[in-house]
Amino acid sequence: MKKTCCTILCAASLFTLPTGVMAADVTVDSRTILGIGQSDIEGAKKETLLPATQFLGLTAAKLGDGNLSLHFYGWGRADLAGNSYNDDKTAGNLTYGYLQYRLKQANTTIRAGRLFIHEGVVNEHIDGISSRTDLPLGLGLSAFGGATVHATNIVGENSDGRGDVVSGGRVNYRYKGLLEVGLSGVFESAAPTLVTHVTRDYRRVGGDVWITPLQKVDIIGHSSYNPETKQFAEHSYLLNIKLVPRLVLTGEFNQQHDQSYIYPWTSFSAAVLNPNDKSSSAGLSLLHEVNKNLEVVADYKKYTREFGTASRFGGEVRVNYKDNSIRGGIGYHYLNAGQGFAVGANPTASYHELRCYVMRDTKGYFAAIDVLGDFFKNSIYEESRAWEATTSLGYHISPALAFSGDLSYGRNPQFIEEAKALLRLTYNMTHKVTGGKK
Amino acid sequence: MRKTIIRFLLLAVAGLVGIVVASCAQMKTVPGLPSSHPETLAVGQQVNCSECHEDQQKGTMKPFNAFSHTQSFVKNHRFYAASDDRLCSTCHKSSFCNDCHTNKVEMKPSTVYGDRPDREFQHRGNFMTLHKIEGKLDPASCYRCHGRANNERCIACHR
Repeated sequence: MKKTCCTILCAASLFTLPTGVMAADVTVDSRTILGIGQSDIEGAKKETLLPATQFLGLTAAKLGDGNLSLHFYGWGRADLAGNSYNDDKTAGNLTYGYLQYRLKQANTTIRAGRLFIHEGVVNEHIDGISSRTDLPLGLGLSAFGGATVHATNIVGENSDGRGDVVSGGRVNYRYKGLLEVGLSGVFESAAPTLVTHVTRDYRRVGGDVWITPLQKVDIIGHSSYNPETKQFAEHSYLLNIKLVPRLVLTGEFNQQHDQSYIYPWTSFSAAVLNPNDKSSSAGLSLLHEVNKNLEVVADYKKYTREFGTASRFGGEVRVNYKDNSIRGGIGYHYLNAGQGFAVGANPTASYHELRCYVMRDTKGYFAAIDVLGDFFKNSIYEESRAWEATTSLGYHISPALAFSGDLSYGRNPQFIEEAKALLRLTYNMTHKVTGGKK
Repeated sequence: MRKTIIRFLLLAVAGLVGIVVASCAQMKTVPGLPSSHPETLAVGQQVNCSECHEDQQKGTMKPFNAFSHTQSFVKNHRFYAASDDRLCSTCHKSSFCNDCHTNKVEMKPSTVYGDRPDREFQHRGNFMTLHKIEGKLDPASCYRCHGRANNERCIACHR
């Protein structure tokens, strides 16, 4: 009941715009995609697939007194032939739809509707209200509350295992661009009992920090604590050191206590996990911006689990020319991982990965080629590699309207051969008129 | 547990009350970011904030240089978005984030934006095979997007 009321309230808030108010800035982003495919699975009938998907975004800014804006984004899919995703011929989702009132001072914002929350250790999707402001003396405050957005259908269940009401917030303190510390938390109402899954209640509190002890060094990260398991759920930290101009050394450390971290997750029931199990990773990367057109990075990362350790190393080069109209990149990585990480009874999970892409964008046409290949040390399902090549070619009908098509082909252990094609109509428009009180 | 619940509710209420109280005269002295970046930036540009912004630490703002879009920044952007998404929103619409970070979607972002390989979307190529390895290496990286949402297909196998 609470959820229904909150959803209706939030949806209704989108229609409370005063009549006669004109939008000063309206932006529309639309992507219409027609997929073309054929399902050819051994033992099953061949099926032609024609899914048509529409992504639509709308932003209307400078409404009313100039501080009000409307934001909307969602998608819908209709299968013109076959069943492309599940047994439903149509599907769709309102990703977000909210009104925002933003003051010019203190970054004060109030939002109402369906929206995403990013506050410290909190990442939520709610139908409700959120507000945030900076305060004098370097303080900041935010709070949110509303109905949980339920979006997952679990076969045989009447619920997705998530509670109906969610709330939380963050307080933070900043000092002269040198330090920021924050405390944040989220609380969701009791998880419903499911028939075939085990779910747990979702509560999380945590702290985040950003500090620049020296001008060339900064540390940023967060730790979160699960009050249900009474254990830390996650530590995640990043260190940047600017050795010389255009040369940056980055170190990262991540550790999750598996049970506490995935406690409210419907899959991989947390109840069966050993509370002492941990996932850890630590890495280093060295980035060199050679010049405005060339960037080179080398990286190394080590992963530690109960059943073994693994490491990955490699590098990437990115280039751009002619005011960004030509872009390209090439990268290589090698994962060295033992049997614990392998698929099936393979002795290792090691593989090489090579990727390269190049793209060109002119006023008339645009094109891209993207190739990705994975070469396994031990074959997976009797395939020693997985690769895919995608080509995209498009034409700018007008500055706002473009038509393009993609073709991709690859071989991999999962599907042996995989060929895909799609047509895409893109419309990106910004319309500015004099409105509001002026 | 009930105490924890009450604490969180109090925190939420305190936040709202704080905002109302703070909206008094004193708030006019607290600086704010513009609603949008004054200069239009090129699509796909690896933004270097220090090209235009001096790295001065005004007020309580973080140095702009911390947000230059190097490869390292793009890969670690979650750290910055967690506390400074208001700065992100001066250039990026929320939908830019929600191309990947969403609650329910059927089409891979790398398919939707097959014409933009430079955006380095996750799950390019045949990730169905690779997830059997990558999920064991770093399960938290799966959880961030597919934990409590966007997991309809995960649950079909992982129970």
